Amino acid sequence: MNDFKMTRRHFGLLAAGVAAASAMPFAARAAAGETAIAATFPGNWEDGYRSVLGPLVKEAGYGLTIAPSMAQDQLAKVMASPGNPPYDTLLMSPGQMAVAIENDIIQKIDPSRLKNWGMLDPAFQGEYGPTVTIEVNGIAYNPDLVPRPKGYRDLFENPAYSGLVSWTGFGSNTAVMAYTEMAKIFGSGPNDMDAVFKLFKDHPEHLKGVVDSTNHQMTLFQQGEIAVFMCSTGNVARLKSMGLKAEYVAPETGAPAAPVNIHLTKGAKNLDAAYAYMDAAISKAAQDKLKLPPTEMFPTNKDVALTPEIEAYVTREQLGNMVYPDWVAINKNRADWIRQFDALVAG
Amino acid sequence: MMKAGGFPYVVPMLLLSVAFFATPLAVLVGFSFTGPDGATLANYGRFFGDAFNFRVLVNTARLGLETVLATTLLGVPIALLYWHSGKTARQVIIFLTLIPMLTSNVVRTFAWIVILGRQGPISEALLGLGLIGRPMTLMFTELGLVMAMCQIDLPLIILPLVAILSRTPVQYTEAAQVSGAGPWRIFVTVLVPLMLPSLLAGWILVFASTSSSFVTQVVIGGARNVYVPQLIYREVGTLFDWPLASAIAVVLLLSTGCLLVTMTMISRHRRLVGHG
Repeated sequence: MNDFKMTRRHFGLLAAGVAAASAMPFAARAAAGETAIAATFPGNWEDGYRSVLGPLVKEAGYGLTIAPSMAQDQLAKVMASPGNPPYDTLLMSPGQMAVAIENDIIQKIDPSRLKNWGMLDPAFQGEYGPTVTIEVNGIAYNPDLVPRPKGYRDLFENPAYSGLVSWTGFGSNTAVMAYTEMAKIFGSGPNDMDAVFKLFKDHPEHLKGVVDSTNHQMTLFQQGEIAVFMCSTGNVARLKSMGLKAEYVAPETGAPAAPVNIHLTKGAKNLDAAYAYMDAAISKAAQDKLKLPPTEMFPTNKDVALTPEIEAYVTREQLGNMVYPDWVAINKNRADWIRQFDALVAG
Repeated sequence: MMKAGGFPYVVPMLLLSVAFFATPLAVLVGFSFTGPDGATLANYGRFFGDAFNFRVLVNTARLGLETVLATTLLGVPIALLYWHSGKTARQVIIFLTLIPMLTSNVVRTFAWIVILGRQGPISEALLGLGLIGRPMTLMFTELGLVMAMCQIDLPLIILPLVAILSRTPVQYTEAAQVSGAGPWRIFVTVLVPLMLPSLLAGWILVFASTSSSFVTQVVIGGARNVYVPQLIYREVGTLFDWPLASAIAVVLLLSTGCLLVTMTMISRHRRLVGHG
């Protein structure tokens, strides 16, 4: 067999070929129309949005790339590349929205570009983007392992839950909402976090199950490592769809809730595609599918009827009675709470 | 050794190193000295001023050293088994060492949740033997984390050992035996000096890999066992305090670098490597 010899000319041609080949998908994409790069939460959201919204956006003549990322991570990534955002749209709750506005990384939208805008209740028509669902939070539990908890107080006072409850740090919105509720119960008000820290100090068995995210808690729940965690109704729907024994309970003091919005990043490169994606997310066609298991998202489009399963969690009339935290106050204290809680957990 | 006039061939490598390693590193270091009013040492002051951060640094070093010890205790016998085996057995050992490396660390980490959990094989075995009265979990413990890290990083210590032993005749030990040396004496005076350079390389790789293994630390260690990568992630991803995150990253880099230099100096010590 002849020896293979590569000359500099061959190497140059090979390099040029590789460069041309790697550029081809972009060229092909450009020819097919814009593609929106949409950040969504990982897990249920990612799967649901990819399978339901992808085809709808394609029908409108655009592409959709779903990029899974937690809300805090979305913020960090966009802040790391000012003027050149990695995403065209972000998916966030009001806590992160306030940070995004403060750091000038999202822009007000033009509602006239959304055909389905009028189908949203005025409460869901934000100037920084539409509300696509309301995340209702509460407590998830395994009925085979523990009794149905009444609320947060029960978790600390009933020995049946000892060592089986998992919590996350203040980086998680779900956790922050639970902690502000606990601060009301055990302290003087929603921002009296010293009372919550004292509660954990007095119940060190609760510190053993602290992990970094709700997704991680779902894995541990699945493995029988934990039996209770602070959740959204979507988490329970996902666990149930996997055939697991998981139940949701609204705390007796009220269920904390957070609207979830799609925002347009400042400097978004694919505006038309981003609007097509936003419009698809609030359309009846999409929300009729996303309200079903395993996502069971609360529909914000008023033409979409609630399923009996969603109505068991919350009805449209009950939305006004949900506990909506004061995110401005939370954001002011959040960094301090995160550091204090981490130090407490690490002992 | 590079021939005279070989410099031009090194230029592309140098340019790549400057562009993709030295420059980002310089940006990171520069960022760690920035504050609202310009250049400052305040970020380092904030890091070392908080006893919690110092404890995290010590925890990270301890985790690295514990994993180094565990991988050494497991890796050396496997490497010696390889040395004394025939061709087929050697292939099997190399295959079994390399196969886990083809699986993502994330997947291996999540597999460890099952192994270390209440209903996992460790708990079941201990329960079956009557050593424990009720199911136990090794999740969220440093012991569980070291076990997982040990499995993940074991190839990093076995492969350098195998590389050096495969070039060494087995007759070395036979010669020592003929000269009247016992098994321990052979191990200490013949095998250890022979393996030391590879061991040092393996220790550096295992220590660096363990101390920066964010996913495994978070998933297996939980939030109670905090290590430096989690601290950096918290500052960047949750608190958006990048100057402090950069300062922490520089501290991690320097502490790992110090260990690297120490190890390199040891590996060049004439008496230790058997040339004294």
